[in-house]
Amino acid sequence: MSLRANRALEVLEGMTYGDWETLYRDNVVAVYRRLHARVGNRPDAEDLTTDVFLRALPRLRLPTSVRAARAYLMATAKTVLAEHWRTSYSAPPAAEFLDGLDVGPPDDPADVHRGEERARALLARLPDNFRRVLELRFLRGYSAAEAAAELGLSVSHVRVLQYRALRRAATLAEEDEP
Amino acid sequence: MTSPESRIGRYLDDLLRNARPRRFKARREELEAMQAALRILPARAGAEPGPDPAFVDRLGRRLRVDLEGETVSAGLSRRRLLGSAGALAAAAAAGAVTDNLLITREVQQSPELVPASGSWIPVARTSSIRDGEAVPFNTGSMEGFVVRTGDRYHAVSAVCTHQGCILQAAGQGRLSCPCHRTTFSLDGAVVVHQLPQTPPPLPHFRTRVTGGVVEVFAV
Repeated sequence: MSLRANRALEVLEGMTYGDWETLYRDNVVAVYRRLHARVGNRPDAEDLTTDVFLRALPRLRLPTSVRAARAYLMATAKTVLAEHWRTSYSAPPAAEFLDGLDVGPPDDPADVHRGEERARALLARLPDNFRRVLELRFLRGYSAAEAAAELGLSVSHVRVLQYRALRRAATLAEEDEP
Repeated sequence: MTSPESRIGRYLDDLLRNARPRRFKARREELEAMQAALRILPARAGAEPGPDPAFVDRLGRRLRVDLEGETVSAGLSRRRLLGSAGALAAAAAAGAVTDNLLITREVQQSPELVPASGSWIPVARTSSIRDGEAVPFNTGSMEGFVVRTGDRYHAVSAVCTHQGCILQAAGQGRLSCPCHRTTFSLDGAVVVHQLPQTPPPLPHFRTRVTGGVVEVFAV
């Protein structure tokens, strides 16, 4: 069964939502995907998606334009994400964690591909030793112990290496998008 | 005492299993490493397939209950349930408000709700409150209950810490939420709930008694 709902519920930009159910069905996947990209796991993505809709829907007056509804959903998602980072990891409300949350059509395939391309490009720019350990962990799905065996290192050495590799990747990414 | 390498190691292990990562107090360098891990995650072949259809349906059903008020008692509108300051106080109770209006300080068991620029507002006469009773008050921007225990008085927020519905005094030392049947004791502790996570206890207002009148520090 397609999550995309049937043709009758497809809504185009420039139109309005007359009922909350259409608003929800038309945007839940996009909101979930954007949140998942920023928390990296399903349980958190589901919780935060729930928070976004529980907060935003009661405050939206129908009918509302598609554009306005999406803007409000994304603004709510930004707040929910910021709170998540603050309460879970004591992160400051810094802008860099919230970038890229924008209004856009749901299920934009370009969004998905960009993420994959950028990730691979970032890996490619790392020095060999950093790239190898992250490729084993991320692309080959090796555990830290398996990566240690493959690389001929201790597990704690792998942890040091992957931590440094991630910090180097962070620096490289920061240069791209200051 | 764990090191950044082991904390990030666990974070990465959790992420790669699609599990909810454990919470911890992260330093700046660790946050950067975590962000980098999130950027690299999409490199794995096969993009995130989108939400579980069962989750989408569950959330849709829950929203239907919330928005169409199936659990609401007859005669109460949703606006009344949220209250004039419902959302604000609920956010404050969760510690999410960061503007100048409200400062929340979490004391061990009973968080305090202390407005940055509030004043002492009379809310009830001591003579009108029986021992063990909770009397509702509304200052216009804040809602709560004044509670008498012997000859001591305190005040708790009337805003459910789950989603901001206004609590009702349910007799026998209980405050109950009309939205999800969460029940609090008169000093704000959660007694019973049916929620996936235990909501926080109700915050207290600063309270004093002057000349037979109970006052709360509020806006």
